[in-house]
Amino acid sequence: MARQWGMVIDLDRCTGCEACVVACHAENNISTVGEKEAARGRAKHWIRVERYYEGDFPNVTAKFMPVLCQQCGEAPCEPVCPTFASYHTSEGLNGQVYNRCIGTRYCANACPYNVRFFNWFNPVWDEPLNLQLNPDVSVRGVGVMEKCTFCVQRIKAAEIQAEAEKRPLKDGEFAPACVQTCAPKAMVFGDLNDPQSEVSRLARSNRATKLLEETGTLPHVTYLKRDSWNGTQNAAENS
Amino acid sequence: MLQKTPEQINEDLLRPLGTTSITYRLVLILLFIVVAAGGYAFGSQIYNGIGLAGIQRPVFWAFYITNFVFWIGLSHAGTLISAILRLCNATWRRPVTRCAEVITVFALSIGASFPVIHLGRPWLAFWLFPYPSERGIWPNIRSPLLWDFFAINTYLIGSVTFLLLPMIPDFALVRDRAVSNIRKKIYSVLALGWSGTPKQWHRLETAMHIMAIAVIPVAVSVHSIVSWDFAMAPVPMWHSTIFAPYFVAGAIFSGIAALIIAMAMLRKFLHLEEYLLPIHFENLGKLLLVMSLLWVYFVASERLTTWYGNEPADMAVFWMTQRGGFSPLFWTMVFCNFIVPFPLLAIKKLRTITGCVIASIGVVIGMWLERFLIIVPSLSHKYLAFSWTASAYRPTWTEITITVATFAAMALLYMLFAKFIPIISVWELKAGQHPAATEELARLADGQSRLADRLRTQREAGAD
Amino acid sequence: MATADSIYGLFPTPADAQRAMDSLRDAGVAPARIVVMTAQPFEEYGFMHVKPMRTNMYKIAACGGIIGGALGFWLAWYMQVAYPFPLTTGGMPLVAPWPTGIVTYELTMLSAILTTVITLLVTTGLPSWRKDKIYDPEVSNGMLLIGVIDPAENAREDLEARLQRAGAEKIKGTGRFTR
Repeated sequence: MARQWGMVIDLDRCTGCEACVVACHAENNISTVGEKEAARGRAKHWIRVERYYEGDFPNVTAKFMPVLCQQCGEAPCEPVCPTFASYHTSEGLNGQVYNRCIGTRYCANACPYNVRFFNWFNPVWDEPLNLQLNPDVSVRGVGVMEKCTFCVQRIKAAEIQAEAEKRPLKDGEFAPACVQTCAPKAMVFGDLNDPQSEVSRLARSNRATKLLEETGTLPHVTYLKRDSWNGTQNAAENS
Repeated sequence: MLQKTPEQINEDLLRPLGTTSITYRLVLILLFIVVAAGGYAFGSQIYNGIGLAGIQRPVFWAFYITNFVFWIGLSHAGTLISAILRLCNATWRRPVTRCAEVITVFALSIGASFPVIHLGRPWLAFWLFPYPSERGIWPNIRSPLLWDFFAINTYLIGSVTFLLLPMIPDFALVRDRAVSNIRKKIYSVLALGWSGTPKQWHRLETAMHIMAIAVIPVAVSVHSIVSWDFAMAPVPMWHSTIFAPYFVAGAIFSGIAALIIAMAMLRKFLHLEEYLLPIHFENLGKLLLVMSLLWVYFVASERLTTWYGNEPADMAVFWMTQRGGFSPLFWTMVFCNFIVPFPLLAIKKLRTITGCVIASIGVVIGMWLERFLIIVPSLSHKYLAFSWTASAYRPTWTEITITVATFAAMALLYMLFAKFIPIISVWELKAGQHPAATEELARLADGQSRLADRLRTQREAGAD
Repeated sequence: MATADSIYGLFPTPADAQRAMDSLRDAGVAPARIVVMTAQPFEEYGFMHVKPMRTNMYKIAACGGIIGGALGFWLAWYMQVAYPFPLTTGGMPLVAPWPTGIVTYELTMLSAILTTVITLLVTTGLPSWRKDKIYDPEVSNGMLLIGVIDPAENAREDLEARLQRAGAEKIKGTGRFTR
């Protein structure tokens, strides 16, 4: 059966440290946009930690979760692209083909999760950061849409290696940059079609939930709810 | 109707083609400068990047798409007046048809340029065209933007032919009266050798009839498809089935307003007081009133169902427009689209040419705001609140310059057209002046003789 | 190419033109040899209907529309399947019915419009910029031109008299009958 890549993020383990955000920037040649542009809302964080404050001081709690491209099974961003730059791969990913993108930005409007980012200008890396670019990932020019690809370069590299060695891919053999970097091991990546993989097992947990499920996008990212949303205060009570 | 001889009609309607005043030339130069500024803004965007515009994440569409929808909407003037009134045999449309059709063609051309202007990589806009590319890929027709491509091109070709076909006899007229050799040559080519035999007239009128039937469904489909650019995306307050009829009604609304403004300016600057009569403005004013009420109906329906449904994402956008940051624009829009036009158009005494023009200017402003308010509040407040705009969307100099430049371009193109081609269809006007006229004309004649009496008494009063 | 021979009169009003037409028909001139030129389509008057006007333009436009629609349908279908691997998007089938329908509809209307224009140009013989056509610029001034193409030499006096009696302001001729 064809592979269907998916991810599980355990919100109980996530500390909101944002190491995944930095790792993603490093792995995927995402440039920083500068202070002025970031203030205008043009920063490109393929994975971001969303944070909502609840309650008033002194009973404030922060609820946070990492949000990245959900690689939706029925992605609303795909049919609206006039040049097929956004399409569905056979392995369940939402592919973004930079060369086909002419920058209509319709896909970004259609995405309910706001996980698509646009290159408003040509990306700039101050020296010597330009020497740190990942050769496996293309650099996107001005006018092109980009988003999380589940580190498709790593997926492809692992698949090619496994095929060359004439063996099947092992679960957990490789991981996207964010999953690899996550210190509390809150993120798990793997093949959802393999019932033995860890990601499939966790996706069947009774804490499993999906983001904006009611929009009918069939996301491949599953979130495991915290048992209690009260943070560290009541952690002692609940453990 | 004040029966004018054909010579008088020729004289009046062809005078603008001959004389050119200094004011005309100055205004033309000024408009050209503004358009050039718009071109410079567009060039800067290509050179530096689309980031020069004020758009941001998540408001990925703003001024340019507002303008796109606005100008395409404005282009529905010609279709309504020309095609529908032609099919209904409404004779009062005769002086008005070409003014309207010209608005359609130019507004459509301007509107159709915006999908190119707003692209991140506009030099690749030709990828929307279905051709067997060397990349082995065709465009994606599941995308509403491709539907836009087909619909707008069909409508543009249809409108251009709808405009050009009845111009052939008028080109023949100008050709026969042309003084300079170059003009005569050009108009001869354009007139296609028209001589005016019964067969030619019959075929032309049949063709116009078929075109009128064909272009109405096309116009309806064009703005429905433009509305589906929004309605097909799962965005709060976009994903609504009412969008197609709502947009078509809004388009006709703004189109009639633009037509009234254009006609008023033509009447004043080309001295067409005896051709573009108060009755024309009154009739168009009544249509504008109906469209204003229809607009209110659609907006009220949409907002009532949204409010009653009380879905959190939709309500966030709803309150933003009604009470939040966008409320000044929202209430200005209601003021311009309904509060001002309604009394001016409903009360007969106020439904003068001036009243209609004031109402129309309000409608043009209000409809532009309506397009803006459909796009930007919804995009700023999608489902995940963390991504609601960090800083509110503000247009930058490129967006403002290009917007102003499009209005200047419209005026410029219109002025150039009126200079070289009679803006009132001469043969249609003459054909409407027959002794064997319908009772509609008799009614118009009655109104016309009252006008004549009024003008006479005014003249006599002024002479004292 | 020399201009065809003709005799024609220029009439100021459609009533005069109608009298002239009646007079010419009385003289036994065949409809095919009567030339009429006007600056407006005087539909209510008989002189515009001497040659029967029937046209198949509606049917031709409809056929053009159907053919264009079929082509549009094929194009829409082809654009969605013409790849070595299927480009699926958003859970939609490979050939999505509604977009196919929309593109088919637009191309149907476009073909109907273009067919109408082409039919018009073909049936009216336009564009024809030949210099040897029978035409008088007075027509643009509101004069109605009624005349006879290729009249017999001995009929000249009679025809000119008839046109004069009907109220012609000017009587002119082309080709052999130039005056």
